[in-house]
Amino acid sequence: MAYLSLQDVRYSYAKNNLIVDSVSFDVEKGKFHSLLGKSGCGKTTLLKLAAGLLTPNEGSILLQGERIKPSEKIGFVFQSPTLLEWKTVIDNVLLPVSLKHKVTKEHVKKAESLLDLMGLSHLKKEYPARLSGGQQSRVSIARALMGSPTLLYMDEPFSALDAITREELQDDLLRLCELHQMTVLFVTHDISEAVYLSDRIAVMDKGRIIHEFFVNIQDRHTPDSRYSGQFSQLCLEIRTAISGGLR
Amino acid sequence: MKKGSIYSWLLFILILLLWEMLAKQMSELVLPAPSVVFNTLIEGLTSGYYTPHILRTSLEIVIGLFLGSLLGILTGIWMGEVEFIRKLLFPYVIASQAVPKLALAPLFILWFGFGMTSKVVITGLICFFPLMENTVTAIQYTDPKKLELFRVLGANRWQTLFKLKIPAGLPSIMAGFRVAVVLAVVGAVVGEFIGGSEGLGALIIASQGMMDTPLMFSVLMLITLIGTFLYQLIYFIERRLFKYRKQ
Repeated sequence: MAYLSLQDVRYSYAKNNLIVDSVSFDVEKGKFHSLLGKSGCGKTTLLKLAAGLLTPNEGSILLQGERIKPSEKIGFVFQSPTLLEWKTVIDNVLLPVSLKHKVTKEHVKKAESLLDLMGLSHLKKEYPARLSGGQQSRVSIARALMGSPTLLYMDEPFSALDAITREELQDDLLRLCELHQMTVLFVTHDISEAVYLSDRIAVMDKGRIIHEFFVNIQDRHTPDSRYSGQFSQLCLEIRTAISGGLR
Repeated sequence: MKKGSIYSWLLFILILLLWEMLAKQMSELVLPAPSVVFNTLIEGLTSGYYTPHILRTSLEIVIGLFLGSLLGILTGIWMGEVEFIRKLLFPYVIASQAVPKLALAPLFILWFGFGMTSKVVITGLICFFPLMENTVTAIQYTDPKKLELFRVLGANRWQTLFKLKIPAGLPSIMAGFRVAVVLAVVGAVVGEFIGGSEGLGALIIASQGMMDTPLMFSVLMLITLIGTFLYQLIYFIERRLFKYRKQ
């Protein structure tokens, strides 16, 4: 049985305006999955449905056989960092805990080690307004990991960053996923980002998944792999699929 | 000292000089010279003549400001949070905006007597509105992204209110408070104009009766000083409270 399973999911904001149209999709444990498509194709809505932030009009979304709902098992990273500007960096990371329980020394230690992993331990007492865009994104990832989620949802978390910072963060993310054995559902419109990060890519158009790709590139996740022939070949295939060439 | 503030002081001195020159041409009854006003002020302060009046007016301002603001914030939160209440009360709030609150002063004197209560009620009423309005807006228009974050984290309504909506709306609520402080001074003084034997407003009316224009000017100075002091106090509190903003 799949870890997270979407069965014939339909969703619309208004009548006759189907945003997500009969999507069935299985997420396997410990794998990195991407939803790829042009803006307005319904990928963010599908992600929110999959995370239990929206309720589908039809169909079911099951996490290990149970209906999905917000819980500590789930981490969510938004398109913008969405930090609370009146809290320091460490308090932002501790937010998922401080909402539910009293913060203990262990929690603080964990938050500090997450910030350390993100290379931000020297900024823990700063306020978000003094951080760069890349640093803010890192804090928001650390916050999502605070509850030790087994399933991480990410909505174009790096789209506002410059190319070099983005590549750094992609590598950080892959490292963290390996370390925590996380399952990821990642939304992006960037083909090479999807190919670099994912084990599996679902291409979306007009609310449907129109194509799926499995990524089997040798020596993935090395700096050179981004420029290999296999990598470019797969990017090209996906590009063709998005523009409707592959059916 | 910055260039701007030097010129600001120079302008102040220039105005005083012009005033002094102008006053020399006129009767003291019409326009007393600043030197005369200053002497009256010092005399009144050292002899203790002003003390009960200053205390009385200050007390009215502080109590009225406290009660009006507290009620304004609480009503604002209630209206911002509960849609039914907002829809129920909003037409009345808009209608009451058109009522000149100070014009109600004679009515309050009639209802609450010539003592302090009537002035506190006027002051409170006048402080209520800016705070209520700013609070409603702040609570109602919390950043939807942050609201979504709190939903992902599984926060309940109270947690969302106290840990997100109120802290996020605090700058706007404090801006309302700053407006209220200035209006509170006006409320208390006008209340004393209409009925009362003690307080700086009553003293202005008395000085008019006695044709003691220097006294009138000196009391005006005192009121200005009280208003400026309160405004600066709020400004100081804001600076401390919102130090997380980028400097």
